This record gives sequence, C-alpha cells and structure tokens, in this order.
Amino acid sequence: MSTVVLLAALAVSLGLVVLLWQRQRSETRRLRERLDAATLELQHVQTTFSRFAPQEVVDRVIARGAAIEAEKREVTVLFADLVDFTRMSERLDPDVLVRILNEYFARITRVISDHRGHVAKFLGDGLMALFGAVERNPWQANDAVHAALGMRDMLEHYNRELRRQELPELRVGIGIHCGVAVAGVIGTHELMEFTVIGSPVNLASRVERLTRVHGVDILVTAAVRAKLDPRFMLRELSPVDAPGVSEPVVTFAVEGFELAPAVRVMSHGS
Amino acid sequence: MAPLQAIEWEDCLLEPVRNPQAERYVRRTLRMVPHAARFFLDSPWIVRAVVRFDLSQVRLAYVRPDLAELIALVVSQENACRYCYAATRSVLKILGLPEERIRRLEDDMLLADLGRPEKAALEFARRVSRATPLASGLDAEPLLEAGYGVDAIKEITFLAALNVYYNRIATLPALPTAPMEELAEHWYMKMLRPLAARFLRARRKPGRPERLSEEHRTGPFAEFVLALDGLPAAAPLRLLIDDALSSPVLSRRAKALVFAVVGRGLACPVSEREAYRLLQEEGLRPEQVDTILANLSSAELDPVERVIVPFARETIWYRPVQVQRRAREIRERLSREQFIELIGVAALANAICRLSAAIDLARNSPPTTVQ
Repeated sequence: MSTVVLLAALAVSLGLVVLLWQRQRSETRRLRERLDAATLELQHVQTTFSRFAPQEVVDRVIARGAAIEAEKREVTVLFADLVDFTRMSERLDPDVLVRILNEYFARITRVISDHRGHVAKFLGDGLMALFGAVERNPWQANDAVHAALGMRDMLEHYNRELRRQELPELRVGIGIHCGVAVAGVIGTHELMEFTVIGSPVNLASRVERLTRVHGVDILVTAAVRAKLDPRFMLRELSPVDAPGVSEPVVTFAVEGFELAPAVRVMSHGS
Repeated sequence: MAPLQAIEWEDCLLEPVRNPQAERYVRRTLRMVPHAARFFLDSPWIVRAVVRFDLSQVRLAYVRPDLAELIALVVSQENACRYCYAATRSVLKILGLPEERIRRLEDDMLLADLGRPEKAALEFARRVSRATPLASGLDAEPLLEAGYGVDAIKEITFLAALNVYYNRIATLPALPTAPMEELAEHWYMKMLRPLAARFLRARRKPGRPERLSEEHRTGPFAEFVLALDGLPAAAPLRLLIDDALSSPVLSRRAKALVFAVVGRGLACPVSEREAYRLLQEEGLRPEQVDTILANLSSAELDPVERVIVPFARETIWYRPVQVQRRAREIRERLSREQFIELIGVAALANAICRLSAAIDLARNSPPTTVQ
C-alpha cells in the first residue's frame, strides 16, 4: 500500500516538475518574443535615424550621446534646387505635388548615396548633400560631380514618366563647391542634425543660384575643377558677382564625362 | 551596426570548386575543409592563407581564444559581413555561449556582462576595423589602463585586421550565408555540440612570443610585419604578403596599384609609400602614380588595371550589397582566377592598413625580450 502511495506521490511530483518546466519554457519563449519585438523596434528607430544622418554618426550618437566631437575636414558640398517649382506648385493639386516631390527626393537620394554622398538636409524643394563629411574620401569631388551627372540622367528618366502622366516636368539646378568646413552634430537635445558649417557651404549654395544666371543645370567652382578627373567635360563661364562673396565667382558648367582621358576645358562661352 | 538578419546580401558570385590536391593539403592541416575555402581552392596563396591564419595554426601568445572569437564577432558585425558574422555566431553557440549572451553583446557591447579589459579590447578592435580615421597608438590607451601590455594590444590589432581580411574575402564574392547561419541549428550539431566544442577547443593551442627570423624581417610592407615582431602571427603575415605579390595571376604592378588605392583611401602613409616604391620598381614614375590615384584611371593603365583600380576603392567603405553589385559588374570582365586574386589582394590591402596602430605602438615602446 505504502509503495502505491509512494509511486503516486512520485508521479504527481514528476507531473508537477514537467508542468513547471513547461511553464518556464513558455515564459522564456514569451520573453524572447518580447525581446525580439523590442529589438526590431529599436532597429526601426535606428533605420529611421539613419535617414537623417549617416549610419556612422547614428552609431556614435547612440554610443556617446550628442556629445560627439566636431571636427574640421575637407568636404564637397552639393546643393540642388528645383527650378520654377514655386510656380509649378501653384498650379498643381497639393497631393500630386507632394507625390512628385517625394518620388523625386527618393530617386535623387539614391543617386547621391550610390556615389558615396549623403543628404544632409532637405530645404523645401531643394537639398544639401555632402561628400567626404563622414569618412575620409580623397575622391569626393569626382564623386560629387558624378552624382550630379547621375541626377541629370535620373531626372531625364523621371521627366519621361511625368510626361506620360501629363504632369509638368522638373528642372534642377546643381551647385558644387569644396573646402574645409566644420562637421558635427548641431542643434538642441530635442532636435539635432549632422551637418557641416562654414564658407564652402555658403559658396556652394550661391553657386547653385548661379545656374539660373548662366542657364545651365550643373555648375562647379574652380576649387572643384582643380580636383576633377580630366575626363569631365567642363565649360568655363564668365565670372559673376554673387551675394555675400567679395570676388566675382568663376564657375564651370559640367557638360558630361568622356571615357577618353583628355583635358576638356573650353574658353568662356564656347 | 546591423543585426545579422538585416544585412542585405547578394547571390554568390563564385562557384565552389574541386581541387583534390588543395583539399588534401587543407584537410591534412586543419582536419577539415572550411566552407569558405571551397570557393578559393584554385588560388594556392589564398588557400595557404586560410590554413596559416586558422586559429588552430596561428597561435595566440597573449589573447585568449574566447576573446579572439568575440573580436571576430564584433569586427564582422562592424563590417556587416553576414557570412563571418553568422559563422562566428555559430562557433560561439557550439562552444556553449548562450544565445542571450550573444544577443546582449550584439545589442550593446558596453552593457554586455564582460569585464572592463574585455570591453576595452572589443571597443579597440571595433575602432581598428572602422578606420575613420585609422586607429593609432593613442586609441590603445584605454587598453593600457585596463592592464594589457603592448604586445597584447598588438595581437588584438592583428586579430581585428585579420577579421577585416576575412570579412572582405567573404563579402566581396557574397559567399552564401545559409550554411553558416544554420550550422549550429542542425539537429545533429545540437546532439554533437559537446563533441564539436571539444574538437574546436582542442585545435586552439596557445602560442608563445616569437621573434622574426632574419629572412622575415625584410620585404614589401616590412614595417607592418616588423610591428608585429614578437607575435607568432608576424611570420605568417610575411609569408602571406610575399605569396600574394608573387602569384602570377595578376601582375605585381596591378597588385601594387590596389595597395596604393586602399592606402590612399584609408590615409595610411606607410602602405601608400610602400606601394609607390613597388610601383616605381615596376616602372611607373611617382607623377604617373599621382595621376592614377587622383582619378582612379589613366591612359597608363592596361585593360585589367582599368577594371581593378576603381574597384579597389570600392572595397574600403561599403554596404555589402553595394560592393557586391559592383563586384558583379566587374566579374564579367575578369577571369575567375583574376577575380579571386583581386578579392584576396584587396582584402589584404585593407587589412594591413589596419595594422597602423601596431606600427605606432612598436615605435613608441621598446621591443620585448623573447626567451
């Protein structure tokens, strides 16, 4: 009799142990699922962040907070702005306008990132992109001008699509300049951005405005030209005054890129 | 840093090959043919590198094998090498590290349950791998404070550089990751895990400090090799560099150009200077090299170099899927042998620049006496 009781008690104990073990396992599984969900959420936040700053900067901010050191470095700055967009925006339905703009920004960002640049900020219908701001890049001037040519090609394709949809075409003006600027995370604790500040940024912005004066789509400064692969076909333009710049600004229109290695700088207006 | 599943990865650009002679050589030394080696069996020097730098062959004099594995994990994660990352994860699991601990380490190394010296070592390895800019002796100060000696730090630098090499060997041709990701999850591996762990541990024998022999003290990129003098890894590194440069598949000039481009991109003056010297030996004047490096092109380049030079630049900083797409573009323009050799040389060029911190440390500290 006592053996039967003992065996029954043993069986009950064993059952309890198995039950507890199973509960423990399901609890562990549940916790792991929650942890996975939290990790995914964190990754999502990180990806969202990386749309606004290079991954390298995101990592640094996550690791050390906003207090990452600003530094002076050689950067190439590209400004791109849509020409006559304000007039276009007055004629279009806001939803259509936003759709056109978002698609344009998506495509242009891809072109810039394919050429090792990153979009530092969107400015209404324009943007500022940086090359060499995060990683050292001795080929940044070439990258920026290749990106500009890529943007020209991209726009040609996009305009074909817009024409098919009977929508107005886009035109872009691009200005590129290079020099030493301060790169870092700037802003308040609530709103910060990775950007560069300094005269190269201002001049690049002015050069972009000069595309309207010269009636061309891509302009580079003499500083950029000095660093370019000779296969870029450039046309030197007459110096013109630009607001906030003491000397008239000499710029070069970018005509294209040729595979034969030859210096192609033509004289004024030719 | 990307988690494993989030790393985009292209289809593999290489087919595995059979080469019974090479397989016998690898199996004889390592007692198995690693999965990655099967894709490179037709490149004798890469196969020899796989053997020489397997952790069972290159003895570590200062760094414990478990820390070496964690360095591999951190550097692979940093380089977003899905292949090496998965392989290291699997090895750690087989060795008995619980999934939770691996995850904690991946999520935030600073919060992982590691001691201060380990955290300092991993942070330094990450810094060496990241190279924005290249790590220097100054970056090693937290390790000195944590109690590491100079030679131990040099060995950590070497391990980070070695993983940079492996990461590129696996990433550039997009080696298939599934076998590595599933390795520890197979039912038979779960059953045999204790045995496999014993096998892995038994292969890792600690090394002793070793001085370089006279014949290994000179040669191309000697400064990097000499910086590791005292470590068992120094002599195999010398052999690897010599092997890579003497392989006849790509010209010595083409390979020196790869070193020059990578040295320029990473701002590594030692590597760039040495590459210039090699290129001068090959008949290129410094101003010709200047032009090539400024534009990554020149009329001086032959058709193969025209493909190789711009690609070398792509191997410095990249997103895996981006560099793999570029690799696919050039794959058609090179023979399989040339493509493989380019991968190996680009990986080596990137790795040796990472040894700059060791050069810095060697310059600023007296050589250790080795008994």
